[in-house]
Amino acid sequence: MLLQCRHLGYHYPLSPEPVFKDISLNLDTPGFHALFGPSGVGKTSFAKLLTGDITGYTGEIIKKENAVFLYTYNQERLPGWSSIGHHLEKVTPPGMTALCLELVDTFGMAPFMNQKFSQLSLGQQNRINLIRYLLQEFDLLVMDESLANVDERSKENIIFKIKEQFPDKYFLYISHNLMEVSKFSDMILVLLKAGKLPQTSLIKGLNIQRNDAINSHELDSVLLGIMNAC
Amino acid sequence: MLVRRISQFFIVYGAGIAFLLALKSILGLSDYVIPGPLEIWSTGLAVVNGYLYDVLNTLGVAMIGQILSIIMAFSIGTAARKSSWLGSFIKAAAYNIQAYPIVAVAPIIFILLGDGFTSRLIIAAMICYFPLLLSVVSIMSEPITSIEHFYLATGRMRWQLEIKIRAFENIRKLTTVISGSATLAMAGTIVAEFIAANAGIGHAIRIALYQSDLSRILAALFLIGIFLSLYQGTLEWMGEKIIKKWVIVDQEELP
Repeated sequence: MLLQCRHLGYHYPLSPEPVFKDISLNLDTPGFHALFGPSGVGKTSFAKLLTGDITGYTGEIIKKENAVFLYTYNQERLPGWSSIGHHLEKVTPPGMTALCLELVDTFGMAPFMNQKFSQLSLGQQNRINLIRYLLQEFDLLVMDESLANVDERSKENIIFKIKEQFPDKYFLYISHNLMEVSKFSDMILVLLKAGKLPQTSLIKGLNIQRNDAINSHELDSVLLGIMNAC
Repeated sequence: MLVRRISQFFIVYGAGIAFLLALKSILGLSDYVIPGPLEIWSTGLAVVNGYLYDVLNTLGVAMIGQILSIIMAFSIGTAARKSSWLGSFIKAAAYNIQAYPIVAVAPIIFILLGDGFTSRLIIAAMICYFPLLLSVVSIMSEPITSIEHFYLATGRMRWQLEIKIRAFENIRKLTTVISGSATLAMAGTIVAEFIAANAGIGHAIRIALYQSDLSRILAALFLIGIFLSLYQGTLEWMGEKIIKKWVIVDQEELP
């Protein structure tokens, strides 16, 4: 078991109303999982609690000993004083250079390595940011809208590559795109607005791999499941 | 930039002279109180060589004082950026001392150190230092979360990197603060020279003041304005050079 949450609740500082309360979750299967829900239900807060980026919650978070949880989001920036290639080189751990080049190539970033971060489009910025996180040591990577502004084809290619390259790692993908969450995710944790009970709903996604054909009935069923849960 | 600064100074100086002459004319003041334009001009020509040396002397002290202030402000300011006990102590001390008129301490310095170069330098540096320190502390205390998060999450953050990130992201503010502090350093030096020094343009103005010679004071102000504009213009030009070399790409169009 990598992660177990019991009756997790969280209030924003000075706010009397909870963002969420009584969330329980077990994460025991590696793979590409998703966190879905309408804006403002506390997806980011929940993810940050898991990775330790924020504290002050009620309930219990039990992590596997020495497990490394990382959180990345779509507005992160690389320093602007040198090229993104130079920055990647600096943060690539020893022995990971080949993987770095492979990811750069798959993510379609090879032609831009001599450019500075501010010269990239938003989608390119998100891709290069994600690459540097994938090169780090982690057990769980929370990807909060990490592929926002990336075109559909590239996004699909990137998610398949992540699934192929890191089969033993855990990913928690936060997105508002119902279709991609349904297609690519294994387990989908749907977070509901505070006051609704139960506060969460766990739905099995299609978890498609590269070259898998999509069964439209199964996809409809997942989509309906999520819509009904919301 | 330099030309703009100097031309702005000419406009302000010209407006000042015009105001004085208008006042003289409206109130019917004598040449002893406000001399006429010809007397101002002839006095200016007569004293320009001596005052030029005095202004350069003052500017030299101000520049050294400013450099000392910058070094001290950046050293202390970066140490104070943390919300540690030391950081909080430095911030509180800086805010409290800043609230006190430092120039009032100047007589103590003259009593202890005499009226030479060191006293002028210390007063110039002190007057320039505290506003500079507060700016550096405020800039360096502000985390750049969108950049720093990765380094903190992966355990790669070092204090040198943190300072580099914050300085880079605030480079325009920092260069503006530094060029602005040149005025403070110059003001500090002149104030020190007013009080008790034996050299510099402040000392020359004090002598002119005792003789009630407004022409000399106006000539001194003219030279101070020209050289301060030149100095600030040079600092701004250097700041722009640094920005262009380090961050100019931000101004280019996105692909």
